[in-house]
Amino acid sequence: MSHTDRKSDAPPGTLRVAGILAEFDGPVALKAAAAGVREAGYTVFEAYSPFPVHGLHAATQRVPGRRRTLLPWLVLGGGIAGGLGALLLQWWTNALDYPYRISGKPLFSLPANIPITFELIILLSALAAFAGGLMLSGLPELFHPLFACARFRRVTTDAFFLAIEASDPQFDETAAAVLLRSLGARQTEVYCQPETQRRLPGVLVAAAVILVPLLLLPPLWIAKVRYARKASPRIHLITDMDFQPKYLPQQSSPVSLFADGRAMRPPVAGTVAVDQPLEADHFLRGETGGKPATTFPVPVTAALMQRGRQRYDIYCATCHGLAGDGDGITSQLAVEREEPKWVRPLSLHNQSVRDQPVGQLFKTVSQGVRTMPGYGSQIPVEDRWAILLYVRALQRTRTATIRDVPQEKRKYLELTGPADAEKPATKP
Amino acid sequence: MPRNPLRNLDQDRTTLSGVPRAVAPALAVGGGVALAVAFALAWSRDASLRDFSASYLISFCFFLSISLGALLFVALQHLVRAGWSVTVRRLAELLAANVSCLAILFLPILVPLLVGRSGLYEWSDPEAVAADKLLEAKAAYLNVPFFAIRAGVYFLVWGLLGRFFLVQSSRQDDSGDPGLTRRMERASAATLILFALTVTFASFDWLMSLEPAWFSTIFGLYFFSGAVVAFFAALILLALGLQAGGWLTSSITTEHYHELGKLLLGFIIFWGYMAFSQYMLIWYANLPEESVWYLARQTGPWTWLSVGLLFGHLLIPFFGLLSREVKRRRILLGGWAAWMLVVHWIDLYWLVMPTFAPEHLPFGLIDVCCIIGVGCLFLAGLLGVARGRALVPLKDPRLHESLVFENS
Repeated sequence: MSHTDRKSDAPPGTLRVAGILAEFDGPVALKAAAAGVREAGYTVFEAYSPFPVHGLHAATQRVPGRRRTLLPWLVLGGGIAGGLGALLLQWWTNALDYPYRISGKPLFSLPANIPITFELIILLSALAAFAGGLMLSGLPELFHPLFACARFRRVTTDAFFLAIEASDPQFDETAAAVLLRSLGARQTEVYCQPETQRRLPGVLVAAAVILVPLLLLPPLWIAKVRYARKASPRIHLITDMDFQPKYLPQQSSPVSLFADGRAMRPPVAGTVAVDQPLEADHFLRGETGGKPATTFPVPVTAALMQRGRQRYDIYCATCHGLAGDGDGITSQLAVEREEPKWVRPLSLHNQSVRDQPVGQLFKTVSQGVRTMPGYGSQIPVEDRWAILLYVRALQRTRTATIRDVPQEKRKYLELTGPADAEKPATKP
Repeated sequence: MPRNPLRNLDQDRTTLSGVPRAVAPALAVGGGVALAVAFALAWSRDASLRDFSASYLISFCFFLSISLGALLFVALQHLVRAGWSVTVRRLAELLAANVSCLAILFLPILVPLLVGRSGLYEWSDPEAVAADKLLEAKAAYLNVPFFAIRAGVYFLVWGLLGRFFLVQSSRQDDSGDPGLTRRMERASAATLILFALTVTFASFDWLMSLEPAWFSTIFGLYFFSGAVVAFFAALILLALGLQAGGWLTSSITTEHYHELGKLLLGFIIFWGYMAFSQYMLIWYANLPEESVWYLARQTGPWTWLSVGLLFGHLLIPFFGLLSREVKRRRILLGGWAAWMLVVHWIDLYWLVMPTFAPEHLPFGLIDVCCIIGVGCLFLAGLLGVARGRALVPLKDPRLHESLVFENS
């Protein structure tokens, strides 16, 4: 209940009657007194007890029953705001601002969004209930005139009080005291509201007006230097990662670290520079005379071909496909899922791939091309050549004619193979 | 508010002595006839037990869930030493003790299994097990003898616990000994632990193993949440029915209905939470061996039943029961309780039937006869349990607290 806030012309320091306080013997007497006060026509009064008394709330209500309150609507509003806010947030972040497909799920799909939505509904409902409850109860209230009554302190241990407040339209000190005594009050006491200076002193206001903008300046300045574009280095708020205690190449180091006083170590004896020509360039880099090699540096044998097929099926076929058409299972899946960063591998039967010298292809396998990673670290050199041999064989399957087949095997093909042997052979 | 509620209780009709003795046997006979009709209809269709068994299982689980919810309620009230619920607790005790009637009603499921003619559970067919490695691996748990032993254990536990609470509470009606309340309070914690284990495994055995390759660890909780909803709905309707017949008119008040309505709403939300927790994990992981179960329920007409459950079992009753006024008006609360019982039956139908009818929603006379049959036998059992007992714990030490209970 709001106590007196009426404007008064009285000077600061004087006291004004705020109400009348009566002490009762126990919860039953208090409940009866509350009902009596209500029947006498009072509306602004409050009962105080050390513990909840059943029925006391109803006894203080002028109209018996439930008091209408705004709180459920505040909670409902909080819940709706939480639910809509959560859906909007997830839709904006996942489907609009940074669309990223996860496990082939739709960009915005309700089942995945419900947990966040549910939690935010609960959170905002609870916050609305908490803040709304405080607000509707007029809290926080730092001072209440009843605090001035020494006896009133016992209300949290063993005393029962009823206070009729001066803001009640029919309030009269004497009549109220008589009524309360007739209802069985042990004692009655008039309590007062000290008239206080409610305005802040001018000095404080002036100080606040100056200080608040000043306090805003440092964060604004930091924000500006952090995000503005300029040539000089930005301000480092946290320097640990930016300035590390370490020696850089070409710097000198204390002799206690390295005897020669250099922070950098010279290369180990026998180190080869990346672009230094080598005797084994053909085998190791697929180069002859600085140009991509057109021949194989290893003897071409059936065993090498078999090895190449096996390695190809392990390392290459998942993307390039078993026949080299660029339709491997990984690629199919990525296309099906619309992975945004996926680039379909080129068919190995593409003319541009056929035309490349084998040394160029060796470089591609070793170092990668476009989004294809290099396999130099995973596949030994010999195996890389074996794979390329198999790739060349795959390419031949699309263009070979019957004339490419040795005489003694043609008969076999004519018996089992395609009818028109002059046309390119079909896929194996 | 009456000045002395206990004196008021003296004028209340608190026993079923006015009900003719012939009612219970008549109900039992009627139920038996209905079940026989259902069986004959199913047998004449394709000379197999399967259609009847599936439909019977739904109705059996429906009434079982009411009894199990009641057992939970009774144990929970003792565990938290609740005062408000005393006037409705005896009704819950009667429902919980009636689980012994359901033990007999379980025989139509168990006996065909034992003689090898069930057709309900794939894992009980030796040929199917021999053909499927997965079933073979699960045979150590999913086999007929162990199934029967487990069922026996469940009913023994539920029967003894239900009986325990009813007998102790009834003895208090005569002696007024508050020590009996203490004894029930001490037993309540262990009861809840046993309850959680038995209900989980029973739902695994009887409902989840219909699809023996499928598994969901939250399934027990899902069944349990639906069971508690069904129990509160049934208790509200039972109390309303008794009061309409002139019993308990002053001991159960609007305040008790309000409280039961709150719990009903709470457990409807809990059901939604469980249903979604099960769905979302399976949906998100998208593993074929798990998602196949939901795929069956998102195919053809089952899609609409699934969506219907989302609305009918959660969203519509949630908003319907939200208001305080609805929970305090008997006609509205009764209407929502009836609604919840219907959707709970549909929920069980949704759990069982897609296994047997993946392409259409079979509903017909067999289902109706099964509901009526099991329902009549359940009621007959309830009347038998209630005979000679008061419908309110007359000398419970917290009875006065319950009679004057008010929602703040």
